[in-house]
Amino acid sequence: MKTAATVKKNRSRRSLSNTDRFTLTAFVGIPTLLQIILLWVPAVVTIILSFTYWNGVRLKDIQWAGIQNYKNIFVNNPLFYQALKNNGTWLAFFVLIATPLGILLAYQIDRGIKGHAFYESIYYLPVVLSLAVIGIIWNFMLQPGGFVQGLMGLDIGNAISIWGNPKINTWVILGVASWRHIGYIMLLYLSGLKSVDPALKEAAAIDGATEWQIFRKIIFPTMQPVNIIIVVITLIESLRAFDLVYIIYGSPTIFPLLNLLVFQNFAGQGISMKGAAYAVILLVLCIVPIITYLRINFKEDLK
Amino acid sequence: MSTGVVQNEQYRNSQKRKDFYISIFIGFFAFVWIFPILWTVWTSLRPYNDIISYGIFSWPRHITLVNYFNAIREMHIGVYLMNSLMVTVPSVILTLFFGSLVAFVVTRYKFKFNLGLLLLFTAGNMLPIVLTYIPVFWMFIWVGELFGNRNLLYNNYGGLILVHVGFQVGFATFVLSSYMKTIPKEISESATIDGANVFRHYWNVILPLLRPALAALSVLMTTWIYNEFFWALVLMSDDSKRPITSALRRLQGQYVTDFNLLAAGAIIAASPTVIMFFVLRKQFIAGLTLGSTKG
Amino acid sequence: MSEEKNVVSRRSVLKGAAIGGAALATGSALSAESASAATRLKGSTVKWTTRGGGATGDKIAKAVNDAFTKKTGAKVVAQQVNSDDFQNNFAQILQGSPDDAFGWMAGYRSNHFGELGLLADLTREIGHLKSTLPTAAIKGSTSPVTKKPYILPTTYYPWALHYRKSMVKDLGMNPESINNWDDFVKLMTLTQKKGLVGYSLGAKGGWEAMGTFDILNARVNGYKYHIDLLNGRAKWTDARTKETFKYFAQLIPFMNTNFMDISWDGMRDLLLQKKTGAMMMGSWFANDFKAKSQADYDDLWVVPFPQINPKFGRDTIDAPLDGISVAANGKNVSGGKALAEFWASPEGITEAVKAGDTNIYVSKSFDTSSYDAFNKQKLAVLASASNIMFFLDRDARGDFAGPVVGPAIQSFLQKPSDINKILENVQAQWDALPKN
Repeated sequence: MKTAATVKKNRSRRSLSNTDRFTLTAFVGIPTLLQIILLWVPAVVTIILSFTYWNGVRLKDIQWAGIQNYKNIFVNNPLFYQALKNNGTWLAFFVLIATPLGILLAYQIDRGIKGHAFYESIYYLPVVLSLAVIGIIWNFMLQPGGFVQGLMGLDIGNAISIWGNPKINTWVILGVASWRHIGYIMLLYLSGLKSVDPALKEAAAIDGATEWQIFRKIIFPTMQPVNIIIVVITLIESLRAFDLVYIIYGSPTIFPLLNLLVFQNFAGQGISMKGAAYAVILLVLCIVPIITYLRINFKEDLK
Repeated sequence: MSTGVVQNEQYRNSQKRKDFYISIFIGFFAFVWIFPILWTVWTSLRPYNDIISYGIFSWPRHITLVNYFNAIREMHIGVYLMNSLMVTVPSVILTLFFGSLVAFVVTRYKFKFNLGLLLLFTAGNMLPIVLTYIPVFWMFIWVGELFGNRNLLYNNYGGLILVHVGFQVGFATFVLSSYMKTIPKEISESATIDGANVFRHYWNVILPLLRPALAALSVLMTTWIYNEFFWALVLMSDDSKRPITSALRRLQGQYVTDFNLLAAGAIIAASPTVIMFFVLRKQFIAGLTLGSTKG
Repeated sequence: MSEEKNVVSRRSVLKGAAIGGAALATGSALSAESASAATRLKGSTVKWTTRGGGATGDKIAKAVNDAFTKKTGAKVVAQQVNSDDFQNNFAQILQGSPDDAFGWMAGYRSNHFGELGLLADLTREIGHLKSTLPTAAIKGSTSPVTKKPYILPTTYYPWALHYRKSMVKDLGMNPESINNWDDFVKLMTLTQKKGLVGYSLGAKGGWEAMGTFDILNARVNGYKYHIDLLNGRAKWTDARTKETFKYFAQLIPFMNTNFMDISWDGMRDLLLQKKTGAMMMGSWFANDFKAKSQADYDDLWVVPFPQINPKFGRDTIDAPLDGISVAANGKNVSGGKALAEFWASPEGITEAVKAGDTNIYVSKSFDTSSYDAFNKQKLAVLASASNIMFFLDRDARGDFAGPVVGPAIQSFLQKPSDINKILENVQAQWDALPKN
């Protein structure tokens, strides 16, 4: 059997004509080239630049800086630690609260309650909106003179601080971000749940298993592939967060995130390669989830 | 036997009660969930002067579509929607085309580089984009100068399409190759034995089989690319060429006080993806599942 | 490729030198050259960017650009952009395919990019306008490094104390005499007693509160100290800097608590809706008072920030200078220069004012007797100061003002007791900047 397969493989390899070889090269070559030129070469350039002083305009102004940019970030910059904390909180909140809520929602909707398709759509609706629109919508809700403050009887003269209040803004922003994330997770999980045999659940329930036991012992293990993907998506989304906060604040200083710090330092009027160094730090943090993701997805192939 | 039936009955009843409470809960939160969107729609239907004179909670004296007409006329929403279309459609088509090519090769032929290629594409999809954007910007300028036109890629639809394809093709490749693994190898083998060359093998045999996956992915990708905000912000310097998502930023700054108009603009900007979601809901969900579960 | 570009530019430099030589030889050659420039201009397209400003901004731009078209026959294609996004991407835009001319800001913000070769040298244009421009404005538009101007100055405005006359009167105070710190504190205290905001401040963007810091530092320590501080010749950890923040801390109890939520437009709305007693801001927002109603506009008043240290009196003011810059990488640089010159010329100014611009112009050609009371007061406020600052983010380098000082002031406002730590940190970040 094995030899037959090998023979067949060899034959098919041999049977490739020159035209076919050319076609195959083009098929793989063009997308790969695009990918390397647009992603990997720039990534390497940024890594190199993170070790220089430069204002980003004339090549002749580049000076070697060693690890000065990193040192400056780690030693002197309080925004960096705030950003780490914010990205970290974001991540923890998504992993521990938003994602489980999405799963819970999926699980409950999957019971087949009346109008479940309708509810599904409502919870999913924020996911198809762009973050620019989401920023505008929540600004209507929360700005001075907006819905929430109006409900509390506050006008602009005695408006309370929401976006700018460090005690609550983290939770407000995470709430808005979860508004989108929960629906996303719900739909992912729901599509997995549909493949779980309902008879299995019923049988366990009749045997006296509680709902939680059923979920933990039966549903959760069967959903293993989806679970891992969800965790990885959650990690990556938390580290890459940018749009929403940029739209709400316009600058990175009130709610710093690593991505925003890259943007502020790497572009605009005060370009310095500190921006590149921030980008590299972000990359280093992303590497763990990226590798995890690759290992899980290509487990068999890698063996 | 009979006790089993009774237990079954009891179980069903208890489930029914539970269903009732849960659906009240889910219904209530669904209302909370959609409220901000409803509020925005409501805001967009009221004239600015009503709000100014009577406050945001006042009983509506007029309900009007005038904000929508003004949004189209004053904000040139139509132009921006057109820009979005010009960027999104080619990006999606090219992404799926390239993704299917790579997926086809790595799943149908056994080359040594297959795994490496898949890893490269999948990892590339997860890179933080800010890592690349300044070098990409310089590259676009440089290529433009090479051809004597700085606007060849920078500040042009072509460049924006290129980066979208570059960043999304990894995901498309990953999803399509997972899907293609479920297509029996025998189909390919018989095609090869019939003497079909590589291109016909791809075009006539594999591509038709990929149709459901492509349909699902295209819906998902359209939403992503349409909603994308960052690249257009940094690579399009002409406001008139910006897609609607990025253009909203300017409108947000410009019409900050007239938020009824802004609300109408936001609703118009959101409508293409929302409509698509409701019309192509099945494909949408299938697209997500394809990406998350191994075929 | 860049080699070839160099050749081209060298050639054009030589050509320019030849023309210059000819002009020196015979006086008539100069007019011949400008005549040929005019024919080149005719039928060409010039691109213009309006940085923010809403409908009024568009209207003013259209009026001036149409007049330019009428005069020269060159077509102007204009666009309005989001001011924040434009600034956040400024270096990229200038390196890419910028519009030929646009409204911009003097000081570090234009000098830096001019020195890097991204903004065009406007020596010739400023020469043409010399008779109408005050020396100070020309000096303010010129880079101290290259001695070349990269912006044509048009308008300026005072950053000063704004309030509504009617509200001050209601408090039993004289609106014309808020002169020293005690008057100011009294105004804020009385306003607060009425349940209103004593001193309104926004800090969302990170730059709004810089205006308050600038003026406090200048009042406490003087102009020279402030400029030295922004250029590294004085230390942020100095006791004198800390003294300034002590005064700043006194303002916090009078402020709106949501200062981190609002920007300049939120501040404006507080004053527009009579929710605040006083506010420190650039007078440009007055356009919006006028747009609301003439009565609101007439009620608006501006005075120099009160005196703190008698040694310095009220001798210093933030008066940012705005103008028109020309992108060196634009498609039509000569057209851009001509358009910029038109905007800064008496003709252009007349068109802008006719279209509803309430800004005050630096041009001496402009007849200030036609100014309304508020504009006359703005002029008086400006004239009362002998030292002109440009504003922190124009007086200090770009990789320091926005990324370092802005966030530092924000953290101070949120936690004033941390000031020592914050200032040490600012100094450390200054010390870590690459020296160029």
